[in-house]
Amino acid sequence: MAEPIVAGVAESDLGETPDRNWLDNAAIATVRALEDAGCSLSDVDGVAVAGGDDYMPALVLSEYLDLDDPSFLEGTEIGGSSFEHFCGHVGDAMARGEADVVVIAYGSTRKTGPGSEQSLEETHPIDGFVRPTGLFRPPGAYAMAARRHMHEYGTTEEQLAEIAVSTREWASMNPKAAHQDPIAVEDVLESRRIAEPFNLLDCCLVSDGGGAVVLVSEEKAGELDVPRVSVAGVASTSTHRQDISEMPDMTTTGAAVTGPKAFEQAGIAHDDVDVAQIYDSFTYTALVTLEDLGFCEKGEGGAFVEGGTTAPGGELPMNTQGGGLSYCHPGHFGVFVLIEAVRQLRGDYTGERQVDDAEVAVAHGTGGLLSSSSTVVLRREA
Amino acid sequence: MSAPVEDRREEWDGPVPVPTGATAPFWAATLEGELRYQQCDCGNRQLYPRAVCTACGAEDPPFAASEGVGTIYTYTVCHVPGEPGFAERTPYVVGAVELAEGPRLLALIDADPESLEVGAPVAVTFWQVSDDAAIPVFVPA
Repeated sequence: MAEPIVAGVAESDLGETPDRNWLDNAAIATVRALEDAGCSLSDVDGVAVAGGDDYMPALVLSEYLDLDDPSFLEGTEIGGSSFEHFCGHVGDAMARGEADVVVIAYGSTRKTGPGSEQSLEETHPIDGFVRPTGLFRPPGAYAMAARRHMHEYGTTEEQLAEIAVSTREWASMNPKAAHQDPIAVEDVLESRRIAEPFNLLDCCLVSDGGGAVVLVSEEKAGELDVPRVSVAGVASTSTHRQDISEMPDMTTTGAAVTGPKAFEQAGIAHDDVDVAQIYDSFTYTALVTLEDLGFCEKGEGGAFVEGGTTAPGGELPMNTQGGGLSYCHPGHFGVFVLIEAVRQLRGDYTGERQVDDAEVAVAHGTGGLLSSSSTVVLRREA
Repeated sequence: MSAPVEDRREEWDGPVPVPTGATAPFWAATLEGELRYQQCDCGNRQLYPRAVCTACGAEDPPFAASEGVGTIYTYTVCHVPGEPGFAERTPYVVGAVELAEGPRLLALIDADPESLEVGAPVAVTFWQVSDDAAIPVFVPA
C-alpha cells in the first residue's frame, strides 16, 4: 500500500437537514472537503461511498457530481467502519497509479428522513431467528455484549457512564456538537432506560448529516499547499453480522485483530498515540475497543476510563469532537472519526480543544452489531 | 425431548419466521415441541441452520434434537420495543442462550427480569406464532 495523504476533510450541515437527502449531504461534504484540500471536482478520479440509502451508491454519487471517468469506485459496505476500511483500498489503488484524488464520502438523513420501512417480509433466513425476539437493535445487541463484559470483568454501569461524561466534556467545546451541556455520571444512570444496562445517555444520538475525506497521492500532495497527514496503517476484519448471539466472544471485538496489525504497519506503539478517535455508538463500544486496541489490559477498560482518562487534559484524549454520543451520529459514524483525527493532527483548533502537538492519531471504526472493525493510524508528517 | 407448545397465533402481532430452504426442518420441528440444531458428520454443531457446514463445508448438514436446556450467556431488558407488536410487552427480556449441546440461540426469556442472571439455567418452551412456526422461548429451569 502507498501511504495516501489526507488533503481535506469536511462535514455537511449536521443535526436536522429536512430539505436534503443522503446524496445532497454526501455531495455537500465532498465539495467542502475538496475546498479544504485546495482541489476541485475536476481533480477527483475516485469515489468511495458507503451507507447511502441507495443501491450502487458510488455510481449514484459519481453521477450526481458529474465526475469525469472516475477510475476508482468503491462501495464495500461493512457498516460504520467502511470509511476506515476504504483507506487501505485507496492506498492500494494509488500504489497501482489508478487514482490520485479519491473522495471518501457519506451522507444520511437518519433523523428526519423517511427511514427504512420495517417490513415483515423476510429478507434473510436468520431474520426468523432474530426479529421474533423483539430485540431492539442495535442498542439491545450492544447492551447484551456490555452485560457479558460486566459479568466477566466486573465492569460497572458507572464506568460505562464515565465514557459519556468525558465525551460530553469534549462536546462542550464544539459548537457543532448536538449536546454541549456538561453531564455527570448520575445523569447517565438516571436517564431513561433503553435496553439494560444501557440508559439513554449510553446511546449515541441520531442526526442527519454527511462527511467527506479527500485522499491524494504523494505526487498530487506535492502540488497542494496542505499540511501532510498520512495514512500509515490500516486493517479490517469482521466477526459476525446479523445476530449478536453469533459473536464468538461478546467481550472481544475485531479490534483485537485490527489494532495490532495497523500499529505494526505504522511502526507505532501505544505510547506514540497522541489522540484517539474511537467509534462510540454506545459507551460500551468505546470501552471494549480501548481494551482490544491494547490501551489497557482486557477487562480493565472500566478502571481505565475512570477519572477522566479520555477527557480534556486526560492521558488519552478520545473523541475530541464529542463523539457519536454528543456531537452527531447520522448512522455510519466512521467518516467523522477520520475527520476529527485529521483536524487534531493538523492543529486546526485552539485552546483546550486542541491536543498539544498531536503527531499520531488512531481512528477506529465499528460496524453492524459490534460486527466489523477497522483501525487506521494517521501521522502528521514534518 | 418434547417441550410445551403454546398456541399464541391469535394474540401475536410480532414478526413471524418464514421457513425457507435450510431452516424449514428447524421450524417444522418447533411445531412438535422439538428444538433442533445441525450436527454435521464431521462433528460440528451449528445454529442458525445453513445450507453448508461452517467447519467442513458439507452440504445440508443433518439435524439433531436438542435437550432444550442451556444457560443464559447474556441478556438485556428491552424498555423500547424493537419490533412491531412488542409495544405492550415492555419491559421484556431477550437473551443469548447457550444450549447444552453448544450452539447459541437468541430468544425471548419469559421471566421476571429481577430474577435473572448470566449463567442461570433455562429450558425451552415454544410459542406458536403462525401456522408454520413456533418460536423458542426460554424459561428459568
